[in-house]
Parts: sequence; structure tokens; C-alpha cells
Amino acid sequence: MEPKGARRESILDLLHDAGGLRPGAVGKVHLESKVPEADIYGVATFYHLLADTTTDVFVCDGLTCRIAGCGSTMKELEARGEKARFVSCVGRCDAAPATWDRRGRPETLSPAYSPSSDQHAIDLAARDDQRYDALGLARDKGGPWVISEMDASGIQGRGGAGFPAAVKWKGVIAQPVKERYVVLNADEGEPGTFKDREVMLRRPHLVIEGLAIAAFAVEAQEIYLYVRGEFGAAKASLIGALDEARARGDVDDRVRWHFVDGHGAYICGEETALLEALEGRRGMPRMKPPFPVESGFRGKPTLIQNVETLACVPAILKNGGAWFRTLGRTAPGSKLYCMSGHVARPGVYEAPLGITMRELLDLAGGAVGTLKAFSPGGASSGFLPASKLDVAMDFRALAVEGSMLGSAGVVVLDDTVDMVEASLAQAVFFEQESCGQCSPCRIGTQLIRQTLDRYLTSGRDPKTLEIIPEVSWGMSEASICGLGLAAALPVKSAMTWFPEEFGID
Amino acid sequence: MSGSKFVVIDGNEVEFREGETILHAARRLGIEIPTLCHDDRLEPAGACRICLVEVEGSRLMQPACAFRTAPGMVVRTNTTRVDRNRQFIISLHLADTVADRDEAEDVSRSKLHDYAAQYGISEGDWPHVESPREGRADDENPFIAFRPDRCIVCAACVRYCDEVEGVSAITLANRGGRTTIATADLRSLDHTTCEMCGGCIAVCPTGAMTEKPALFYGKPERELERVRSTCNFCGVGCQIDINVDREANRIVKVTSPPPGTTVNDGNLCVKGRFANDFVHHPDRLTVPLVREVDGQLREASWDEALDRAVRGLQSVRETHGSDSLAFISSSRCTGEENYLIQKLARAGFGTQNIHQCAAT
Repeated sequence: MEPKGARRESILDLLHDAGGLRPGAVGKVHLESKVPEADIYGVATFYHLLADTTTDVFVCDGLTCRIAGCGSTMKELEARGEKARFVSCVGRCDAAPATWDRRGRPETLSPAYSPSSDQHAIDLAARDDQRYDALGLARDKGGPWVISEMDASGIQGRGGAGFPAAVKWKGVIAQPVKERYVVLNADEGEPGTFKDREVMLRRPHLVIEGLAIAAFAVEAQEIYLYVRGEFGAAKASLIGALDEARARGDVDDRVRWHFVDGHGAYICGEETALLEALEGRRGMPRMKPPFPVESGFRGKPTLIQNVETLACVPAILKNGGAWFRTLGRTAPGSKLYCMSGHVARPGVYEAPLGITMRELLDLAGGAVGTLKAFSPGGASSGFLPASKLDVAMDFRALAVEGSMLGSAGVVVLDDTVDMVEASLAQAVFFEQESCGQCSPCRIGTQLIRQTLDRYLTSGRDPKTLEIIPEVSWGMSEASICGLGLAAALPVKSAMTWFPEEFGID
Repeated sequence: MSGSKFVVIDGNEVEFREGETILHAARRLGIEIPTLCHDDRLEPAGACRICLVEVEGSRLMQPACAFRTAPGMVVRTNTTRVDRNRQFIISLHLADTVADRDEAEDVSRSKLHDYAAQYGISEGDWPHVESPREGRADDENPFIAFRPDRCIVCAACVRYCDEVEGVSAITLANRGGRTTIATADLRSLDHTTCEMCGGCIAVCPTGAMTEKPALFYGKPERELERVRSTCNFCGVGCQIDINVDREANRIVKVTSPPPGTTVNDGNLCVKGRFANDFVHHPDRLTVPLVREVDGQLREASWDEALDRAVRGLQSVRETHGSDSLAFISSSRCTGEENYLIQKLARAGFGTQNIHQCAAT
């Protein structure tokens, strides 16, 4: 229990300033924050960028980077005498095999993206709009109009769950409590996903304007921008845009803006885990209900939205919700799709929601090699076989296939990929990134990874896989949050679509 | 069922109470829902997931320990899905800890293994999970042992230390499968804010937290006899269960009665739980001693010893006056005993020099 006046929310920053979990750091942060030492240690050990004080270069061993040969990258780094280690994602699958250097090398822009089009809500290739016309419109026409346009747009949250955004906005404005917050979820970390990074780097004004409109519409007094720790350049881009908007008077000081760094934990992209991180705690998802719209940051009504969702808001207000709806084919809006793996031009492509995988592949220059399978929406979406190329890439159609659109991080696999190894890569990711709070996920992710290891070391004895169905059933039924609910999907879907590779028929 | 004032659990109606969880509403109907991470003294964590039940209108099962009832809510605890989940959770935990019951209960009892027996889960059905949980093998504190291989990471100990004791000596540390119970910088507990109350042991459902002295003694708790008694270290009157090895006629450890059953609500302090090694100590006085003129102590009867004390006190009073005497009582005395000693001082010896060591 912390004493009154303890500065709990500051401890992640204080730990960062202390250089992470070095000897003496816990005591120092305790003196400055008055938070119990054990709590500080518990928080520091949760976030790998704080717990690991020795590594300089983080080498991604996510699925895309494995395909691209991250093992050789590691060997080269070691040969150069670099302090390097594998991590499960660094958010740049377009540059696979990817690394992130903590000493501050700038992030690179994606080499390919869609050409500019008036059928794109975000339009990465366009010059970043600095006029803040949509914010002006919002102020002229009022918050209820903004929310009605959001409602008319039908936009589903672009973070992964596809939850209708307007329901959140309406939920927050309906709360009797007047202390309210807007939070930007820029903790992009789903393997295969790097769209939010591109939006922040190329169109930061869209994000700032979207946030300002959201705060205006739900009558929030403060905005928190939680940016993934590895995205230093993206954060600098947002700060630069905010400064410009302030200097021109587009954004005034009625709303307070705060930037908060992530410190290395995929789970903090889950919105309630993100709130825990903002409050200076271990990023363990909260039980819901209550939902953040009712009880979020500091227990107050909170609107949390993904970068891409907020970046769509200016276009929705300028062109109307009905216009946005028409941009999609099977569901409202255009959508950023991240293409990586065995594809000619990895990058971020904006396309109508509901585009087929076949068309997406064409946009990205086609598959490299013979297409065998794809992962439509990050690690959490599992795998689909090449025969599903004509499925609409939207939230509903992919759910019907037992998969999900998620964050639209599409990973393309050719026929050289062993689906057991691919499943193992995803299993390793979930094992490393499980928060450890609930037993189905904490133990289940280990059991699945160890079972796949055992299968491979046993000379592929199918008997070793017998427990997979029951473990994946339990994880998908009993986990607290989306990570655990989805973590067994890669192996389960691989066994469904490619049984021969698992020695079953 | 809107407008209903009832909650329906397995077809039985129970009156809705504002803020009540499914677990407590079910208890009023006599419906038992298994729990591992829950303790009524703690905020629900919903972490172990064994208490999941079906709630009509909810796609996913919900934790009974945390999910609040609403008027008209329909809950099912007796479906195949609920039962399958219970078996899943028990199997997971057995795979992740010590599956064999005798080994798991080498000193402490394990609620997990009670459930395994109740739900017919046999040990070793699932492959053992190599869990890399860190312990503190060098922890030099004399009372509390943490054995990470038995830990189900429910964090009841961490929450108890924070929410009930307000001490926060321990924490969840690391992430995922490496999550463990730790102190700041993995220091020995006696180099933290820990007050050695041992509440972490009492709330632990598997015996991962256990009493070091009992661990060294090495006899399973289920072979010990529990004797209910009152702690006599102070006047509060905490109830304690003295765990006795009848064969050896020895006290092995003191445990706290379940929360909600006694005045101390399952809590004890370091003295009540751990200060019992004097009982079998060879230096312990078991009969009164009086000093002979040659300075040597010899055994005496209570009558003789008390007579000697009375004569000594009277002689001081006669020689130096009443106020040359002072009476100090122990904080171990009850209110009644403190009353008696002030009576003795004032009425028996005519002095106001009376003090009690807990008064300052």
C-alpha cells in the first residue's frame, strides 16, 4: 500500500531516467516516489526495456523476421561485438529482418505504400494536412454533430477488435462524471503490423487533429499519448506536429497534452493494460466490466482509440460519415493493410475494407514464390491457406473463417515455410508477451510452445500433440484478455488447414 | 426478467443484493464454486479462472469471485462447459507445479490437490511444464519460505501483504511464465518492510508459502492434530490453531483459523504465528525456582515461591515505604489481569506506582 501523496504514475519515467533496473534504482525511485520498493521492482521487471539494462540492439524474431533470416542478423551483430538479443517484435516487418538499436538510430519509412487517392481516408502519400479544417468544423457544429458523423461513418476501431468507435464516444459523453480523458493507443506491437508507425511518421497532424476533435466531442480535459518505446521517431513526429498546431493556434491550451513512453510490453496495446501502465503499474489487463468509457484512467471515463482510428476522424468530418462508409466494400471505410513476408513490395497499403487477399497481394506486387498460407491480421489471427485468397479482408468475414482481421498485419508465407515452425514462432511470441496474470494464458502459452518443441525433438511424433485441442479450448474460453483468448489460434489453425504437416489426417 | 428482485443460480432464486458477487450469492444458496486465488479479505483478482460460470447474455464465462450480480441475472454453475473449465484449470496447475499429492503436501496442505481429488483429475495426465519461476534460495529470514515450484502465481500473498497488512513487502515480478513472487531486488524478507506476520502463508492455496520451522520439521500438516487455543502474547485474544505432532508430543507450527470464523479474521502477527519455539526449549522454566542463601536456585512449589515473593515485597515496604515499590505488568496480560495487578499495587501495597509496558 502506498502512502498518501505517493507519485505512482511517475515511477516508469523515474525508472527510465535511472537507466532501468540497475543496482540502486529501486531505492532511488522509492525515495522520489514514495511507492513501496517491492512494487517498483515488480513494475520494473514487467517491462523488458527497463528490466534489460545491457542490450543495445534488439533483434526481432517474429515470424516475418524469421522468414527473412534474423538468425544471420544476430550472428553478424555478435561478430561485430554488439550487445544484442532476440525480442518478439520491433514493429518494422517491412524491413525484415528487423532490428531496433536503443542508442537511437532513426526509424526508416516503409519503402512502398499506396499512391495518393481521394478514396483514402488517411492517404499516407498525401502532404500532411496542416489546416485543421475538421477541428474548426467540429467547433462550429458542436460535439453532438461530431458524434453523429462518427456514428454515420460506421467506423470500427482499427486497433484490432473492430469495436464500433462511435459507441465509445457516445459512452463517454453519457457519463455523469465530468473528469474525462482521451488516450491515444500508439503501442503498436502485433507482429506483422507497422501501420500506426507510418501514420505517425507521415501524417502526424491527422493524429493530433483527431485527438483534439475527440477531446472536444467527449468533453475531456486531458489527452494522453502512449507511444511504443521503440517508436522514438514517431513520437518526435507527433510532438513536432503538436508544437506546430499550437504555434498556429489550431490547438489551444484548454486541453492538456501528455506524452507517455511504452517500455517494452506487447500487452500494453490492450487498452486496460495500457491504462495500468499509465498509472505506473504492471501492464496486466483489467477485468471488464467496468469498461474504460465508464471507469478508465484514474477510474474516470476514458476514450481510448488506436492511431489509425483517430487519423480517420478529420476525413470523416470533412467529407461526412456517409462518404467514409462508401470507401469500404463489405464494411465501412478504407483500411491500412500491412504487407510483409513473402511478398514483392512489403509496406502499408490503404484499400477498401473488404478487399480480398488476392487483390491485396497484387497491390504489393504479388507473392514471392508459391503462396501457401497467410496470416491475415497479425499473430493473433492464426493462419489461412492459399485457398482462402478470395475471402473479404474485413472483421466479420474473417471471423466466420475462424480467423480475424485484427490489426491487418498480413504475413504472406510461401511453400518453403514449415507450418510447424511458423506455429512455433507465434507460440514463442505469445509465451514471451503473456502478462502472466491469468493461468490459462500464463501456463497455456508455455504448454503450447513446449509441446511444439517436443513434437520437433521427438522426430514429429503426433502423439505429443494430443493435448493441443484441450489446451487451446481452455485458453480461448477462460483467459482474461484477447492475448490469451487468441494465443492458441496459430497452432490450432495450422493443424486445421495443414494437418499433414503435423502428421495427422 | 426486468424488475425482478432475484438472481437465478442453477434454477434457484436468491434475493438480489446490491454489489454482491456471484460467488457470495451462490454461497447463500449453498452452491459451492471452487476458488483458488480468492479470499474474502481481498479485492477479487479473477486470476486463477477456476471459478468461471456461465452468465446468460455473456458470450464468455465470467469469474464468480469478481462478477457482480444484477437483478434478473441468470447464472449456471453446473453445466458441462463450466465443469470442463474446472478440469482444464486444475490440469494446467498440476502440470505447472508439483502434480504428485504426497510430494506437494510434504508439509503444507494444498487446496489445488483437494480439488484435483474432488474433480477426479489424476496427476501427470499432462506433460510437466518447465516453468522458470525464480525463487530466493538465499533468503535468510527465519520464518517464511517460498517454494516457486509449488506457486500457482495467484498473487493472494501479494494482495494480502498490500491490502490487509499495508506492508507491500512482496510483489509479482517478471512476466508471463517467468512471473513469480519476489521482494525488491530479491532481498531477504528480513531486509524488506516485511513484519513476518505470515499472512502470505495463510492465504496460499498450495503451500508455496510455508513456515520455515515446519519445513525443517518435515511432517505433513494433514498428519498433525489441530488444537484451537487463544494466543497469549497480548490481550486481543486472537484464536490460533496449534498444530501438534501427537507421536512426538511437539508443537510443529501455529496456523490461523479461517477468515470470518474468529475475532482475528484469519490474521495473526509474528508472535502469534511464529514465537512458539520456547515451548520445547531446554532452558524453559516449567516449575518455580527460589534462591538459596548460597545464591543457588532450586525448584520449589508455587505456594513456597509465592510466599517468598510476598515476604520480599512486604519487607521492602516496611523498610523503605510503599512508594519504594513499583508494579509493571506485561503487555501479554489481559484487561482483567491488568485490573488485578493495579488492585494489588493500590489496595495491597498502597502505591500508585503502576505501569503497563504497552502503555507507552
